[in-house]
Amino acid sequence: MKIGLEVHVAIPTKSKLFCACSTSADEPNSSICPICMGFPGSKPMLNKAAIEYALSVSAALHCKTGKATSFVRKVYFYPDLPKSYQITQLQDAIGFGGYVELEKKKIGIRRIQLEEDPAKIIREDNYTLIDFNRSGVPLLEIVTEPDIASQDELREFVNELRSILYYLGFDIEREIKADLNISVADARVEVKNVNGIRNLVDAAQHEIRRQEDLHSKKQKIVAETRSYNEKTLRTESSREKESDEEYGFIYEPDLTVYQIKPKKLAKPIYAGIIARELAGGTGQLKKTVLDLIQFDSRALELFEHARGKWPLQSIINVVEVLNKYGAKDIGMAHFEKLLDVARAGTPISKQVLEQVKKGVKVEISEVSSAEVDREIKEIIRKNSHLLKEYEKNPKVFNFIVGDVAKKLKANPKEVSERLRGILEKGFKG
Amino acid sequence: MKNLGEIKDLNQRLHFFSAINDSAKDAARFSVKDNICVKGFEARAGSKILSGYVPPFDATCVERMAKKGYNFIGKTVMDEFGFGSFGVNTDVQARNPFDEKRVAGGSSSGAAVATAVLKDHIAISESTGGSISNPASFCGVVGFTPTYGTVSRYGLIDYANSLDKIGLMARSSEEIRKAFDIIRGADRYDTTCTENGITDSKKKKLVVIDQLMHGIDDGILASFEALLAKLEGMGYKVERTSLDFIDKAIPAYYIISMAEASTNLAKYTGYKYGRQLDAFTKKYNEFFTEAREVFGMEAKRRIVLGTFVRSASVKERYYTKALKVRALLANKLSELMKDAFVISPTMPIMAPKIDEAAELPPLQAYAMDSLTIPPNLTGLPHVSFPYDYLKGMPVGAQLVTTHFNDYALLDFVGKWEKSFDYKFKYNL
Ligand SMILES: [Zn+2]
Repeated sequence: MKIGLEVHVAIPTKSKLFCACSTSADEPNSSICPICMGFPGSKPMLNKAAIEYALSVSAALHCKTGKATSFVRKVYFYPDLPKSYQITQLQDAIGFGGYVELEKKKIGIRRIQLEEDPAKIIREDNYTLIDFNRSGVPLLEIVTEPDIASQDELREFVNELRSILYYLGFDIEREIKADLNISVADARVEVKNVNGIRNLVDAAQHEIRRQEDLHSKKQKIVAETRSYNEKTLRTESSREKESDEEYGFIYEPDLTVYQIKPKKLAKPIYAGIIARELAGGTGQLKKTVLDLIQFDSRALELFEHARGKWPLQSIINVVEVLNKYGAKDIGMAHFEKLLDVARAGTPISKQVLEQVKKGVKVEISEVSSAEVDREIKEIIRKNSHLLKEYEKNPKVFNFIVGDVAKKLKANPKEVSERLRGILEKGFKG
Repeated sequence: MKNLGEIKDLNQRLHFFSAINDSAKDAARFSVKDNICVKGFEARAGSKILSGYVPPFDATCVERMAKKGYNFIGKTVMDEFGFGSFGVNTDVQARNPFDEKRVAGGSSSGAAVATAVLKDHIAISESTGGSISNPASFCGVVGFTPTYGTVSRYGLIDYANSLDKIGLMARSSEEIRKAFDIIRGADRYDTTCTENGITDSKKKKLVVIDQLMHGIDDGILASFEALLAKLEGMGYKVERTSLDFIDKAIPAYYIISMAEASTNLAKYTGYKYGRQLDAFTKKYNEFFTEAREVFGMEAKRRIVLGTFVRSASVKERYYTKALKVRALLANKLSELMKDAFVISPTMPIMAPKIDEAAELPPLQAYAMDSLTIPPNLTGLPHVSFPYDYLKGMPVGAQLVTTHFNDYALLDFVGKWEKSFDYKFKYNL
């Protein structure tokens, strides 16, 4: 099975791609001008900030970028398109031939291009409204290779991509818009205009099932364009038949070829890779860390600050608590106090959090690792039968941990880490 | 204006203004071709589909002229969207002041007539394939088309963006030079407009390209030879040369201009500006199809042909090839003009009668642009200046130079004017 994606995301510039209109107006049709309305006589002027964002994404997705970039006109008639053509990119797009690294594989990125968003169409029962505020908002279209092989990979890819974009300053609260290409057998079916991740994964699931069903019955899968219906949870054949033949691309003669000058770009952050490093592997622990840092730059800051100096589990505990109480803006000194408290095995209640914030000393029983080790070995020596029983019944492990933790008022998690270490070294009493 | 009444009366007969600014002052007057936006004045670009479009902004060139104290007096008529060589492809057809049965040329027909009947006046006009040279020559005025990209196109209703050039007409090179210095120069609203230094590299050699002299009216040919002799008398050296490749200019021009025009005209769908339909109950495809019925025949022809030449399966054969021809021709002509100007008659024929021009088949009409298309296709600056009157009708010659050497053209015409008497029937 092959799945490819064309993802559209809004670039977070203050003004539109080809005019000075704001990209963040609320009242419909309040942020428009002769340029984004396509009035006769108006001409586009390129927003260089949008180019810079696009270049940052291109670099973050390991794409190659040419010396220059240029635009084309894609002609089609639709009421949301003021000029009846969209200014987009083709040959000299911003980036080519990159990838996004997932846990087990890389997903190829074919192309990254800049284009203008059409206006927003609001369909009512018996009339249609158009809001041109969105007309001309800069969009980035990211086209993948058909490298995605399952719904899980699809979800992982979309989240990793969104995470990269989030760390480059994109607003990921805005719904992601995407076209899916799915081929279970030979025929390539395009599912157009799917909004939001959940719909994307659902649409993929339903389209895969539909194609597999046809395939198993040895029926023909038609290469076509379909759309996803959120209500019926099915993909439906679309009647629109626009093709490159009719788009009739020509280069955009109102914009000159834009020379790309080497420039320092925003440094990309790959949350997936960082989580793997922190967790030292790809299991549940990595997933826990990733959930915390994927779309949370402050959480990442806290992890980076504490990394290597406190046990990972303590960092996770404290960040989770701070999330719970909406207190991640805490100062680093207080954060460190909380980490000490966590390391000592004291649960962090709201009260503890308040105490730390106010600078009140929190009573914690400092137990050294050496003390824990001594106590563990002591118990094992005194009860030599425990080891034999442990081989038959792993629950004995928890008994030892509980006993030691209780006696020393130590953190059970730390005790269990110490115990595991001691057993692995082959301690026989 | 003191003579507003007289101007209006004459306009009733010659149809050069589509709108007149009643409150304009007398001095330093300028008119604007109807495809260039003037805030508050309807801009139809000669098309019914733009009826009622009143731009909410001034074109950059209009704003710059006004800032320097020039007074806007009116919008001048033109072929629909610039699609024509005789000013007949529109509902209001300008008439030649030298013979009212004849055309004024096109597509800047009204601009040329206005210049021929008004004194102390500059016409801001526009050329895509010859729309300044052609009517300037038929109406006996100076028509100057600057290097592509020296005058901002912001506010110009597009025909073919990579070919459109805003330029000027006047009764002397001096007036043109003054206005050129006002309207030229970089503009943040037009990315293709640059701040290149304009040069005045004078040439003593004049090159006549053999291929351009085919198919020219005998009378014009004879008078052009006489002009060359006079110029030799003024110290210029005339040289004849062959440039086979120049035959490719007309097809390349029409392919590129129609391809771009077909995208530019796509925006006229009848609900945002210009002609507006009430039929909002129709499906969008039927709705805009109805709105677009009012395009003239030539506009429809160019939409269809332009859409064809850029469609994916034939694009390489037509559109992409035409772009290559343009680049190659620009190189060949620039090479030829290192130490020379290229000179030719501006038009191969005398101004035809209006009914004759209207009946000309498209291919024959396109062939009338054979002399003006090469410099227009390649963005080279050129000027048409009157040099003779045959049977009472003016004839013009066209001088071409290298990119950004625009001043040298005006300098040449300035020298020529010293021994030439302009004739005008009206001096309003
Ligand atoms: Zn705008």
